[in-house]
Amino acid sequence: MLEKLIKQNNITIHGSGSKVMFFVHGYGCDQNMWRFITPHFKDTYKIVLIDLVGSGKSDENAYNYDKYNSLDGHADDLINICDALNLQDVCIVAHSVSAMIATLAAVKRPELFKKLIMIGPSPRYINDANYFGGFSQKDIDELLETLDSNYLGWSRAMAPVIMDNLDRPELADELEASFCQNNPEIATHFAKVTFLGDNRNDLKKLSTDTLILQSKADVIASIEVGQFVNNNISNSKLVVLETIGHCPHLSAPNQTIEAMKNYLL
Amino acid sequence: MDYNIDYKEFYNSFPSGYFCSSPNGTIIDSNKNFLELTNYSREEVIGKKKFTDFLSLGGKIYFENVFAPALKLSGNIEEVNFNFTKKEGTILPVLVNSVEIKDSSGTHLYTHSAIFNIAQRKKYEQELLRSKKNANELSNKLIAVNKKLRSRTELISKQKLQLKEFNQHLENKNRQLSSFAHIASHNLRAPVSNLMVLKDFYKENTDLKDKAMLFSKVDTVIEGLNETLDELIESIKIQGNKDIVFDAVNFDTFFAKTLVILDIQILDSKAVVTSNFCEAPNIEYPKLYMESILLNLLSNSIRYRAHDRIAKIHFHTEIINNEILLIATDNGLGINLRKYGHHLFGLNNTFHRHPDSKGVGLFMTKTQKEAAGGSVTVESEVDKGTTFKIILKKQK
Repeated sequence: MLEKLIKQNNITIHGSGSKVMFFVHGYGCDQNMWRFITPHFKDTYKIVLIDLVGSGKSDENAYNYDKYNSLDGHADDLINICDALNLQDVCIVAHSVSAMIATLAAVKRPELFKKLIMIGPSPRYINDANYFGGFSQKDIDELLETLDSNYLGWSRAMAPVIMDNLDRPELADELEASFCQNNPEIATHFAKVTFLGDNRNDLKKLSTDTLILQSKADVIASIEVGQFVNNNISNSKLVVLETIGHCPHLSAPNQTIEAMKNYLL
Repeated sequence: MDYNIDYKEFYNSFPSGYFCSSPNGTIIDSNKNFLELTNYSREEVIGKKKFTDFLSLGGKIYFENVFAPALKLSGNIEEVNFNFTKKEGTILPVLVNSVEIKDSSGTHLYTHSAIFNIAQRKKYEQELLRSKKNANELSNKLIAVNKKLRSRTELISKQKLQLKEFNQHLENKNRQLSSFAHIASHNLRAPVSNLMVLKDFYKENTDLKDKAMLFSKVDTVIEGLNETLDELIESIKIQGNKDIVFDAVNFDTFFAKTLVILDIQILDSKAVVTSNFCEAPNIEYPKLYMESILLNLLSNSIRYRAHDRIAKIHFHTEIINNEILLIATDNGLGINLRKYGHHLFGLNNTFHRHPDSKGVGLFMTKTQKEAAGGSVTVESEVDKGTTFKIILKKQK
């Protein structure tokens, strides 16, 4: 089971601490995005990094479109990994969509998780009458179009012809070597699950002690969304970081580390 | 030889858009080409706009989730396709290459980005996609035609099989008939020549007593002849029954089987096929003949449907005068019975100018029915439809 999971989620374990810090990347990237953060915790924590199935160097063949048709599929993976590695009192650090994946996991198995640190979470991206998520359905459709044309700069409908060319494996190698390049078909499916999902009701069920980290300007998860998340979790704290963009752990790693450390004291 | 390169001029006339942004994304310088591509003035962009301001919301999601992290992690990124929105609102498809410039301590100073106009390439790509779509459609059409052809072939080979079976039946019958003729000629010759002789005697003789005796002999010979004939008829009856096995036939089951065989034809023709066999749900009848009769009647109705209306085909059973009738009604092309009626059930007779017409089915239907006992009648009106009534047999 453990070996299967290691291959499936490209699990890597670092650090020498006794406590466990479990990092889960968000949509579009992989475990590389934690590289500015993890060195600052590796002495006090055992650090577990994974790639969500379908992202990074996870096992693409494990991407079952039915299982991952909702975030629950990924949440079950998190639980299975904790069980297989016998992790306890986990501090889980989750970016973007993974904040909701971690929420689902912690609602299902609250005893596994001691703390939850969310970075740029959003339970719902699309606006409705009484909720501001930041996007309309049209915007998400446009994103899917952008995804479609960002595989070698060509529309994905053309790309299979290129990628199936067995005489030129260097094309595939080139993609593998670069960061945040995922299988386009899976990326599109994951984008749909991520950006069309609605996890607002799950926040209320969460009992884990939670920190919400939020850039002061983030088009993906605005301050309003951060406040909504904070207001709907019974036991949470919101910290706004003096940086912009959706990845404060990349654009302002020091601030992010400081906020995490303050919270974990 | 030394060239005196004016780098400012070089920068401005550089054949692609170029801009430099601060770590927070604000554009702090750009070349003329970038401004021309986006139709903004220098004052509107420098110190005011960010990279993401040129993107739609969908593009921004991609920028934040993929482009920015990848650039942060590897220091540069190449060949990312974005749609930039020009000042007037139109879309400029571009490829973007970006690189982060850092000082010796690794602090991020600014980001250089080059954008390449790929409007022509996008158009070309659209063309390719359109062609690909057309090719896919064509291929799908071919697959459909192929499927149709295959199902027709299946139908024809099924009919061929039935013809073969029927042929065998005819051959059997022929053999029986010729042996009947043989037996008849042998068994009948003797009493007939006896009769001839007795007739001659009778004519020649004048004695009334003798005549009466001769006539009683004629009577005996006739009786014997009659017996022989009865035997012969009985023997042929038994022989005839040998190769016709009567099975328990449930109309619903057999009709359902027929629908499966003609599935594709029914789908293609969009014919509405209904049935109601509750008046006589079952019959004792040769299985193969029943299959063949249903198949031929239904495929005929489909084939000779009128193309200007939805084909409605209904099969049902009735009991009239203790006989089970199988009735097939359609609203198809119909048949001019006055003109073609006498040809209707002949082999190789067709009465539609239809490319599919072979004239096999009805011939088989009639002959098979007669072999198993029964008859067929037809009512039809040109362009109104046709009703076949098949009297299957006397009900026990």
